[in-house]
Amino acid sequence: GQSFPAKPEITRCRSLEKDTFSCWWKPGTDGGLPTNYTLFYSKASEEKIYECPDYRTSGPNSCYFDKKHTKQRTTYNITVMATNEFGSSSSDPQYVDVTCLVRPDSPGDLSLETETSAGVTGLWAKWSPPGLADDSSNWHVYHYELRFKPEEEEKWETVSVGVQTQYKVMKLNAGLKYGVQVRCMLDCGEWSEWSPERQIQIPSGQSPPEKPTILKCRSPEKETFTCWWKPGSDGGHPTNYTLFYSKEGEEQIYECPDYRTAGPNSCYFDKKHTSFWTIYNITVKATNKMGSNSSEPHYVDVTYIVQPDPPVNVTLELKKPINRKPYLVLTWFPPPLADVRSGWLTLEYELRLKPEEGDEWETIFVGQQTQYKMFSLNPGKKYIVQIHCKPDHHGSWSEWSSEKYIQIPSDYRVKDMIVWIIVGVLSSLICLIMSWTMVLKGYRMIAFILPPVPGPKIKGIDTHLLETGKSEELLSALGCHGFPPTSDCEELLIEYLEVEDSEDQQLQQSRNNGHPSKNTQVTSKETDGDSGRGSCDSPSLLSEKCREPRGLPSKLPSQDVREVPENDAGEKGWETQRVASSEDKALPFSTAGTKSSTWPAANIHPSTFAYHSTVDAHKVTLSTTNVNVAPVLVGNEEKYQSRYSTSETLCEENLEKQREMENMHSRNDQSTIQVNQSRLNEKSSFFNAKLMDYVEVHKVRQDEDPAVLLKHKENSGKIEKYTIPGTSKEYTKVSTVVDHNILVLMPDSRVPVSQEPAKEMPQNLQQGQVEKNMSYCLPAPSECQREAGGSEYMDPSSFMPSFK
Amino acid sequence: CHTSRMPTPKGKEPAQNLPREELTHLILKLLQAWKEPLSHFNQHIEHHQELSDDSLSKAKQISNMVHELKMGVEKSMGIISNSLNGMASSEAAGLSISNEANLMSDSDFIHCFRRDSNKVQSYLKILKCRIMPENSC
Repeated sequence: GQSFPAKPEITRCRSLEKDTFSCWWKPGTDGGLPTNYTLFYSKASEEKIYECPDYRTSGPNSCYFDKKHTKQRTTYNITVMATNEFGSSSSDPQYVDVTCLVRPDSPGDLSLETETSAGVTGLWAKWSPPGLADDSSNWHVYHYELRFKPEEEEKWETVSVGVQTQYKVMKLNAGLKYGVQVRCMLDCGEWSEWSPERQIQIPSGQSPPEKPTILKCRSPEKETFTCWWKPGSDGGHPTNYTLFYSKEGEEQIYECPDYRTAGPNSCYFDKKHTSFWTIYNITVKATNKMGSNSSEPHYVDVTYIVQPDPPVNVTLELKKPINRKPYLVLTWFPPPLADVRSGWLTLEYELRLKPEEGDEWETIFVGQQTQYKMFSLNPGKKYIVQIHCKPDHHGSWSEWSSEKYIQIPSDYRVKDMIVWIIVGVLSSLICLIMSWTMVLKGYRMIAFILPPVPGPKIKGIDTHLLETGKSEELLSALGCHGFPPTSDCEELLIEYLEVEDSEDQQLQQSRNNGHPSKNTQVTSKETDGDSGRGSCDSPSLLSEKCREPRGLPSKLPSQDVREVPENDAGEKGWETQRVASSEDKALPFSTAGTKSSTWPAANIHPSTFAYHSTVDAHKVTLSTTNVNVAPVLVGNEEKYQSRYSTSETLCEENLEKQREMENMHSRNDQSTIQVNQSRLNEKSSFFNAKLMDYVEVHKVRQDEDPAVLLKHKENSGKIEKYTIPGTSKEYTKVSTVVDHNILVLMPDSRVPVSQEPAKEMPQNLQQGQVEKNMSYCLPAPSECQREAGGSEYMDPSSFMPSFK
Repeated sequence: CHTSRMPTPKGKEPAQNLPREELTHLILKLLQAWKEPLSHFNQHIEHHQELSDDSLSKAKQISNMVHELKMGVEKSMGIISNSLNGMASSEAAGLSISNEANLMSDSDFIHCFRRDSNKVQSYLKILKCRIMPENSC
């Protein structure tokens, strides 16, 4: 029977070429009648059915889809229909993904490379994907597979590579020849064919050794030498090293005589084989199974490669010479091998030194001697010392000897400490003593050391008096009461002007107030305490003693006029005053011994006398007051004080003058002057008797002629000639007579000149003051001091010449 | 070096084994051998403009020193060994050798001189310690 054809069957579809594929079917039974086969396909996303474009190209029962009809990434639904007279039948549809139909080409460009690392040799296989290189649509992800086998073997070893296009094969046997192939596959396709086989020889991992290098050659004693080399890589096989050398001028090559003595990789040349002043040509050859290699030649002349061993037997010795600081002697010996004795090898030494904690070495070149003396080490400190040596010519320094420690004993430090301790104790004792003394007699000590600066002290100055300007009163207040003998003058202390209260009491009080302590010796007398009249310099000095006698204005009237001046004179330590106090005694100014050189006797006089004539009256008053009242110093009293001495007349006059001057200079005086004046007047009677009394004034200055000698005279009008110390002025001139009992004398500027122009006086005045200061100061102070006795206050200024 | 042909002891023992006079002669021969070449060298380098004045003066100084050394050795050794014959022969030998020296290059010259001066120094030191051992030997 005839029937419709059976269902054909699509056997396979293949993509033989890029972007083309073919499908083949197998016809079923044809049912006895001729059958036609048609292939229909549709693309996945479309409905349209197409018929096979080409039935011939791929042969019978095939359909060839050319590029036009091949669409990638498309699933085709293909069916084949068989048709005959009776009917047709279709095959089952076949879904074909074109992509998967493709059978890729095998990968190309397979390259092989061996790589040896860490002794292991690996094989790198690299290839490229199938297809044309310029194919841009390279979206195909291929999977690769690799297989290899040694040449002689049959079995392949396959390795799945993945998507990489390279692979390293590790498990290879060195020395064999291997063949490698790769193939690729798309994820849903077929494997490609294996690529053509590539072959490669795996290296065996062994080679001839590398070139060795010669490190250095050294001779320790200039008789033998050794050379050392460094081997290269051995190429995998045990390698042998041999050293060859030849000498300059010779052709023959020798081999190293001794490989052992100096250790591995070394060659030792003993004495027999060592020649000097000859150049050696040395090479080292490394040999192994694979081959050999020689080092570069090394040229060496033994003469120049000497490096000795370090010095030995380093010893220290501490030497302690008498009267000198101990020092250290360092001794050592040359290295044992070096033959220094024969002179063949001469060594020079150098040592280095540093404190244990220090960082820097101090290097000292010693030369050829084998000892060294060290003087400059600090005792008690620890030092490290090392020595090394080198040949004196053409060589190198040896290694440093082992460290040697030095420590100098510091015994004598103890002695130093003891000394310091003793010094400390003594000084502390002294300090204690001093502070003790200070505490006990502090004030006096202080005064002794730091004399107070005397200030002007004006006792009993009645400012009113001064203001009122009654000169007479002032003058009288100032003290020259009447024309008393020297005592008064002394009192007045020509040098300084004491301005006192006219009232005795005032004086007393003032005095007492001033320096009660100083008036200790003043009994009933008021002393002008510290009216600033210190001698030229030290009012206090003079004041004490001087005041005593002087400060008796109250007593004046009732007292011997002399006394007053005496006291006054004595106040300032004036001998003159003293003398004055001793009645009828010439003022032993000179005998007093001390002379205040600071008392320019002459000055006093001239100064005092240098007053204007108008002052004369004042002078007189001054003088009178002087007797009565302790002169109150004004202003530069100190100066005047010191000027005390000289002569009584001087005193008087000076006082007068001074006072006048004071008056002139300060109004303050006036009040006192006035005061004094009043008193003066009172006592003038007394003074009358006394006024004419002049105390002899001896020279104040030792080296001078007696300044003024005023003698006590009953004669009121008589005036003695006298010379003023220093200036040798004579107060021979009577300027005026005041109040009937006051004789104002004028000094003569020249020695025996009886008459002096009055005009000279002003000039002299200035000088006189100065001189006064100069000449009178010295004696006074001492006197005063002595008599001051218990006075606590000492005016150092009295010691010193006081210059205005 | 022009003095290479001279038979000189090349080590300590060989040198020590030589009798004193022979060693002295050797020293003198060496010194003599360098006299001529040195002066020639000095003349030669004076024309060298690269060398500093210091180098030139130094070279001259060295020549003088060699000469003085030779004199000194002759004097001192002359006292010890009165062999004038030996002196004469050494003079002659030196002269013949020195002709070779003129052919050397400068660097070779200096190299040879350095070596020979070291030789002379070593021999002299051995001699010294042999004659006067107490003097720092």
